[in-house]
Amino acid sequence: MESNIAPAERILVCLSSSPSNKKVIEAAANMAAAFGAAFTALYVKPDDYDMLPLEDRERLKSNIAFAEEKGASVTTISGNDAALQIAEYARISAATKIVIGRSGIGRKRIFRKASLTDKLNIHAPNAQICVIPDSERELKDQKERLRISGQLMPTLKDCIISILILAASTGLGFLFTHFGFSEANIITIYILGVLSISVTTVSPFLGAFGSLFSVLLFNYFFIDPKHSFHTYEPEYAVTFFIMLIASLITGSLANRLKLNARISARETFRTKVLFDTNRLLQDAVNSEEVLRIAAKQVSSLLEMDTDIYTKQQSGPIKKMISYKAFMDDAQKETIPKDEEDADKDDELRIADWVFEKRFPAGSGTKKYSKVSAQYHPIAINDHCYGVISVHTEKKSLDHFSSSVFTSILGECAMALESLRNAEEKEKAAIIARNEQLRSNLLRSISHDIRTPLTSISGNASNLLSHYEQLDKQTLLQIFSDIYDDSEWLIDLVENLLFISRIENGQMELHLSLDVISDVLEESLKHIDKRASEHNISVVESDELLLAKMDSKLITQVMINLINNAIKNTPRGSNIQIISEKVGGVIMVSVKDDGPGIDDDKKEHVFDMFYTGDNKVADGRRGLGLGLALCKSIVEAHGGRISLKDNKPSGCCFSFTLPSEEIIINE
Amino acid sequence: MVEDDIPVSNLIVTTLKTHEYKYLSAKNGSEALLMASSHNPDVVFLDLGLPDMDGVDVIKEIRGWSNMPIIVISARSDDEDKIEALDAGADDYLTKPFSVEELLARLRVTIRRLSLMNQELMPDNSEYKNGELKIDFAAGCAYLKDTELKLTPIEYKLLCLLAKNTGKVLTHTYITQNIWGRSWENDIASLRVFMVTLRKKLEPAEGSQQYIQTHVGIGYRMLKVD
Repeated sequence: MESNIAPAERILVCLSSSPSNKKVIEAAANMAAAFGAAFTALYVKPDDYDMLPLEDRERLKSNIAFAEEKGASVTTISGNDAALQIAEYARISAATKIVIGRSGIGRKRIFRKASLTDKLNIHAPNAQICVIPDSERELKDQKERLRISGQLMPTLKDCIISILILAASTGLGFLFTHFGFSEANIITIYILGVLSISVTTVSPFLGAFGSLFSVLLFNYFFIDPKHSFHTYEPEYAVTFFIMLIASLITGSLANRLKLNARISARETFRTKVLFDTNRLLQDAVNSEEVLRIAAKQVSSLLEMDTDIYTKQQSGPIKKMISYKAFMDDAQKETIPKDEEDADKDDELRIADWVFEKRFPAGSGTKKYSKVSAQYHPIAINDHCYGVISVHTEKKSLDHFSSSVFTSILGECAMALESLRNAEEKEKAAIIARNEQLRSNLLRSISHDIRTPLTSISGNASNLLSHYEQLDKQTLLQIFSDIYDDSEWLIDLVENLLFISRIENGQMELHLSLDVISDVLEESLKHIDKRASEHNISVVESDELLLAKMDSKLITQVMINLINNAIKNTPRGSNIQIISEKVGGVIMVSVKDDGPGIDDDKKEHVFDMFYTGDNKVADGRRGLGLGLALCKSIVEAHGGRISLKDNKPSGCCFSFTLPSEEIIINE
Repeated sequence: MVEDDIPVSNLIVTTLKTHEYKYLSAKNGSEALLMASSHNPDVVFLDLGLPDMDGVDVIKEIRGWSNMPIIVISARSDDEDKIEALDAGADDYLTKPFSVEELLARLRVTIRRLSLMNQELMPDNSEYKNGELKIDFAAGCAYLKDTELKLTPIEYKLLCLLAKNTGKVLTHTYITQNIWGRSWENDIASLRVFMVTLRKKLEPAEGSQQYIQTHVGIGYRMLKVD
């Protein structure tokens, strides 16, 4: 998918709980005002948001309020990898400039993680990143504090586990003593115990305390003098110290491993969901399917019921699909009928608001927070395609699910966008094609009408000025020419009038039930006057042939086919018109025994403006409309037109019409 | 003849002159009504695209006091205005562009109808004679070449309706209204079927005399045959 560069500027500012953030927001707001750009503020909520100190959370809230004051539309998305989330959001909302604070850069440290700016550069190489400098070092302290506070306090469960492990180690120690193993082995058991504590618990404190208690226990139970805390060997202090360090390192490693494993698992899950969604979206052929996929994926991901609302053009918002979680596939999807109960009006109203404002609402947000569902817009680039409502039933979504949810919506919005673009392209192509056809038509018409008109005008002028001088034969010829030319023009105009009924590629049919033989009779009244030079016969079926048709159009089809036979066969040829019922359809055939048409030309015969190389009897080529028009008319009726060879020579043009049965009223 | 387009008017006038018909010409609706009421012509050619009045209104006016045959000339090939005119009381129609032969043919048909109408003023009108077709209204049966025609009740009703309006084009809706009292789509479809069977009975062989003329999309007409 190529990235769309929106012409207008869109400023995206990253919010954080840092005190310097206000400066960043201010700078971004000024930029937005200067560019006349759309201004959005984004906060990426990490998993451990609830563990942040109250001070930080308060500061964040005031930053958010400040941003709103400055006219930003604030969005919060969840995620741990701020850079990735910001980059993704920037892409979806077509942000042209991303504004962040300098404290994201950080100073050179030994274990320096890649800075936010660097990461952003990787994930969003096309965006311009504006860094607002600041001299505060608050952030570093913040991080420090983060490390110590919060989740690092041991839980009760962990304490019990630690105690149990220590007890087990001590027990094993006794066993070893019983078997006569040396103390060195017992120490290793305690080391093992401490390592186990570090791995299974979260807090590093427990590992540290574990080491201390291990040493004490070891000292108490296994070192002479037994059952006392005295040691004779000072080297046990060293042992204790080493055990402590070992436990801390293991604990930290184990924690990091666990964290990575968790993150990795989440990333895998997220990737899988997005991959699945993407795969399904690839196969979607229209926007309804895309929205259906969105509902299904979100529903399975969050295990909650979802609804999708859409709005057509300027019509009212409607519920399109309901997806129930926890039901088997057959019952899952329902398309609501129009007569739903009145309290659904509230849902519609909220959905409508979300659609217009392109902002989420519902529980957990500021707008309509009392309802039991969350409403999110499916929007991209200023265009909203629908609203999805998730029936959270007052449960709040965990941050990870929330972030995947947002990603799914983003994917769907992009798929809808690309579908819409494809549609617009197609419409434009059709319009261009029609224009081309129209201009071709006009060109041909003006040429082919001018010719006979010139001849008529010229002849008439001759008559006006030289009537006396011309002999009878010449006069008769002139009159005949004038008559022929005008007849030719009448025929052309009739065909043109019918073509003008093709509007946007649609032929308007005024259908009525008519008898084929009546229509045939009518056509025979309007055919070329040279019909008398040919043997025209009509073969009718015994059955009464009725079909639903636009009688004027089908009459024209028959006229065109018969005229075609007359014009392209020599004098005296036989032309047969057969109407019969063949397998549920009515077939009308015009057979002639003229020279016929070569196989390679047969395909093109029904093309518009195709005149072939045949010289028509009166030397005039013709516009090439007749057969093309026949094809359009017949196909608009749901029938088919074809050309076959007649035996021994000549053409057989046939067309079919669906047959109708009627009930006779007596 | 009521026609505002001068060349067409000249064409009709020339045709009438060469065939020795007497004519009057009017250029708009009000002139037409004036002439019709003062001179009482036998046939009126009425163009539907008149500048001052809708042709249908002219027809309604004339029908208010006279049964004189009216042939409408319509420029468009749409059927709606012809049907409207016929339902308002016109007898026949010509579509532009028309040939001189067509004009004369329709004129002849109308004149024959005139003579039939005059015949009907005579006392003995329980019988209808048209070429080899004879209808005995009193007995309720029809004959072709003195052989009785086996007609279903509906076919007989149709035949009588057409016969009573010989020379006049009757629209589908007019016929269905008169036979069934209503004009649903199904009725009009049935009508077509009945007419085909009726025509087959009246014109059994390939080259027989045509009595009933089909006007696709408009209606049917019984022709006076001599």
